Amino acid sequence: MAIHERGLVEQERIIKKDRIVIDGVDASGDWNLIILPRVINDYDLNFAKDIINHPQGKTINQCYQCAYCTASCPVHNYWDEKYNPRHFIYLARLGMLDELQKRADVIWRCVSCHKCTHRCPKGVLVEEVLKVIVNQMSKRGLIEEYPSKKFDKFFTESVIEYGRIEDGELLFGWMEKQGYSVMKDPILKKPIPFAGGLPDWLKSLAIKPLKGMNIDFLILNAKHMLIHPRTQNWNRFKQVLERVIREEGIMTH
Amino acid sequence: MGVIGKNVAYYPGCSLEGAARAYDVSLRLVAKDLGLELDYLKDYNCCGAMESKNVTFWGTILMNARNMSLARKQGYEVIVAPCNGCSFSLQRAWYFLTTDNSVLTKTNALLREGGVDPLDVIPETYHALEWLYEEAGPEKIKEKTKKPLKGLKVANYYGCLYTRPHFYARTYSHAGGQDLDKDRPMRRATADDDEHPFFQNKLLEAAGATSVDFEPMHTQCCGGPHSLSDESVSEKFVMMILQNAKRNGADVIATECPLCHASLEMYRHRLMLKGVPDVDVPAVYFTQLLGLALGRSASEVKLKDNLSDPLPVLKRYGLA
Repeated sequence: MAIHERGLVEQERIIKKDRIVIDGVDASGDWNLIILPRVINDYDLNFAKDIINHPQGKTINQCYQCAYCTASCPVHNYWDEKYNPRHFIYLARLGMLDELQKRADVIWRCVSCHKCTHRCPKGVLVEEVLKVIVNQMSKRGLIEEYPSKKFDKFFTESVIEYGRIEDGELLFGWMEKQGYSVMKDPILKKPIPFAGGLPDWLKSLAIKPLKGMNIDFLILNAKHMLIHPRTQNWNRFKQVLERVIREEGIMTH
Repeated sequence: MGVIGKNVAYYPGCSLEGAARAYDVSLRLVAKDLGLELDYLKDYNCCGAMESKNVTFWGTILMNARNMSLARKQGYEVIVAPCNGCSFSLQRAWYFLTTDNSVLTKTNALLREGGVDPLDVIPETYHALEWLYEEAGPEKIKEKTKKPLKGLKVANYYGCLYTRPHFYARTYSHAGGQDLDKDRPMRRATADDDEHPFFQNKLLEAAGATSVDFEPMHTQCCGGPHSLSDESVSEKFVMMILQNAKRNGADVIATECPLCHASLEMYRHRLMLKGVPDVDVPAVYFTQLLGLALGRSASEVKLKDNLSDPLPVLKRYGLA
């Protein structure tokens, strides 16, 4: 275990003493730190099998734990040290689900920047593997619905419905899902961008364009908010898409 | 004429038809001025961006396969996408369809069921920046520049997925790992350097701009798919990018992806409200800057579409 990953060991298992004598020999100095052993008796090897059987997760067994992914990861480096792709892969392969569950608050935080996958010297599709791990955890009920999944589902539902997405609907619809009260016009039930209980930054951002931005741009976006852009000949394809996604079962968990 | 050829389908993506209209308009203007043709891919659907792929593998492959199939049916050989998210999604689908035969078989069966032609040849995807670099190149831009961007200091922001990961984008990888996969097809005909992309720097320098030192923030993530769902992380990432640009002396930050652009502009606004120092660099699409250099006016390249008003800075250099 690399020294910078000592945080992965629970604090209560680390014993540090100023002076330590073992069998009459003074072992102070560099040897004053002891990590107590642990017994693992609860693991699930089917977890790794499920990942390998998925086209996205095939490469997980190529991993040799060099931690190039972790060293590259912006979430690990700039946000939270607990987010550690190497460690997640390690835990998933050993099937240590309780340990994975302990990290449920950070494991979804991947921003899909693909530095890990790009730099992996063993050809593991790290980002894809991590997404499969989270999805499998989700299927087994080890992780509650997390913010990014809520958004991903919201986004995908919009794609399935119309074939295309619309930025205004995404932004204001998401704000509504977040619990902000979005004011809507009484006839078409479409959001009014700068009214209601939206956060201040969004209100001021929505008012900004009124001063000095292109009028036709505003009209275009308002039009899109009223009439959602659609893909033609979408219906038949939509049915297939809906069925495939239902069979996959990640959206519904 | 470069190696990509003329037979390209332009896949603008949802964003460019709405909030990122400026990018679409300016890209087509620049292409026209450089003598290149861009035909719209008709009746396309959303690529699923960075979001759908997290909740449905097959759904995302299918959405992209439909677009590929449409491109083939409309007689195109390659797809050009101006958005990092779109080009990534298409390249990702390309990877799974070409390396995993079971994926291709299942996808083709589902396409047929959905009333779309199955894929015979799987078309490749290029980012619009790579396409401009390959088909026009810095020399042509230098030749056609009417109003050089003299003195303008630009931070060239590439974002994550323009060259990453090498499995999908098929760029060279400095880290190695490519020789492990013997079945993996070769590099694309033209692709930018993976860790030190330079196409945008070269194009804008040819148009007279000065690139500021912006590594390694030029490929730092802006929060991407989490910019709405994990705000604190995105805010920190954008702060790092903007402050780095500002402190290296940049006047504007040039983007080549509507998602990065939107994220930068949105969080720039929020950070400025909070009073964070050194974040007031406006974001412009690189095609807007190229358009200005090629003699187009500020209203033609839709500079007033940008939320982070770049006009005052550009006026200082007599460009708008």
